[in-house]
Amino acid sequence: MRVSEEDVLDLLTAAAMTISVADAAAVLLLGEADRLVLSARRGLPDDFPPGEIPLDREALSGRPVGASAADRPDVPFPTGFSFLLCVPLTVAAHPLGVLRVYRQASPPFSPADAERLLALAAVGAAALQAAQGVAELERIEAAKSRFIHVVTHELRSPIAVAQSLVRSVVRGYAGSLTETQKDLFARISARLDFLERLVNDLLDLAASRAPELAEEECAVALNSSVGRAVLLLMPRAEEKGVNLVARPYSEELAVWGTEEGLDRIFVNLIENGIKYTPPGGTVTVTMGRDGDEVWVRVSDTGIGIPPEAMPHLFEEFYRAPNARALNAVGTGLGLTIVKELVERYRGRIEVKSQVGEGTTFIVTFPAAGPPTCGF
Amino acid sequence: MPDKILIVEDDPDMVTALRMPLEANGYEVYVAASGQEGLQKVKEINPDLIILDVMMETTTAGFQLSLQLRSPDPKSEYAPYRHIPILILTAIHTTTSLRFGPDEAYLPVDDFVDKPIDPEVLLSKVRTLIEKSRAQK
Repeated sequence: MRVSEEDVLDLLTAAAMTISVADAAAVLLLGEADRLVLSARRGLPDDFPPGEIPLDREALSGRPVGASAADRPDVPFPTGFSFLLCVPLTVAAHPLGVLRVYRQASPPFSPADAERLLALAAVGAAALQAAQGVAELERIEAAKSRFIHVVTHELRSPIAVAQSLVRSVVRGYAGSLTETQKDLFARISARLDFLERLVNDLLDLAASRAPELAEEECAVALNSSVGRAVLLLMPRAEEKGVNLVARPYSEELAVWGTEEGLDRIFVNLIENGIKYTPPGGTVTVTMGRDGDEVWVRVSDTGIGIPPEAMPHLFEEFYRAPNARALNAVGTGLGLTIVKELVERYRGRIEVKSQVGEGTTFIVTFPAAGPPTCGF
Repeated sequence: MPDKILIVEDDPDMVTALRMPLEANGYEVYVAASGQEGLQKVKEINPDLIILDVMMETTTAGFQLSLQLRSPDPKSEYAPYRHIPILILTAIHTTTSLRFGPDEAYLPVDDFVDKPIDPEVLLSKVRTLIEKSRAQK
């Protein structure tokens, strides 16, 4: 579960009031220029000035401070409140702010109250720091994804232009070519195809990591999604002499996700199967339901994955040594994208493989209700 | 008289890639490097087809041109050119979350060609669109 700073502050003020039997609580956090800023309050009147009071600095130095309205005319109290206890919010001797609790009537706060509140403040400060850290990491991750998105768009354009020019030349629109020239241009074209693919994969990866780039999710019909992937790859399988075997499932299964994301998962898995299966081999796609889960299995009779490659399979740019040796075109991003997407849709991916015999990928998702899109 | 094609594209290399197969097939090619210049040339040349890059200097330039040309206002200065078929160039990969299609209302265009350009696909779409618009006249 994702807990925000706001959630932590909310819980902290509520817990502080309960354990110190107080009528109100407030948290002030250190902001810019070392100033304390009111960040949460509970049970305090709206007109109570939220700023720093003399007790806060004492508390920030690391110890609980108490006061009564009668003894400390220099400390502002909200109307109707008589006692105040202020403790530091500290993580590893680093102050984040202060936690204050107020009582309207006697008894005043006791040293035992201070001990309890101090203990709560320690836990609260740690939770607060963790929530702030998560928010910061998310900001960094989103910035990274945006950067990749922009860069890949900038990269894609010149590649497309270069490829368009080469294609026109290869087809003879710039005059006839010698056999050697044709061969050289074909090689340039193959390199450009690879580069285009790499950039597209990077963009997909960035998209799968940046939630703001994603489409809204719906219950995607599994038969259609797998069907589209099979249809798209059938020509490639036929061209290579690999049997691609897939049949729709007897039931209309659905997975909560986006059509493009799910299509991409199945395209990548089936494409890999075809790529790493020698001519005459078979790639089989099956699906089914198991309780409240649905699964899709892509099995091939290909080269298999060596055991030492298994732990790295989903790493960015990783390619198994026997996959590299095969000279098949691949960017090493396909399975990374699959895993990210599967996890985004709350699923899991398993792989079983035997070198020389074949590989099976199984993706499992929570079953969604009747399909609401893509059928 | 050869058919006239106006290419609205700000990348001169892409213009070359488009021009080569078109001229080899007898089309007369005109070029505009911006949406604004494109609108002007439409009036000057009255082309049989417009090839439009939607991702020019600003992403909206292509959209604006096609919207202006297809304005439903009968008093629009571009009303006489509303029938000209528009073929858009797009580099938007089908697997990303953005999708353009000839049947979708994002853009008032007639068909689209994916970048990188395949000359045979381009020529076949150009031929079909010009024939279709001729039949409608």
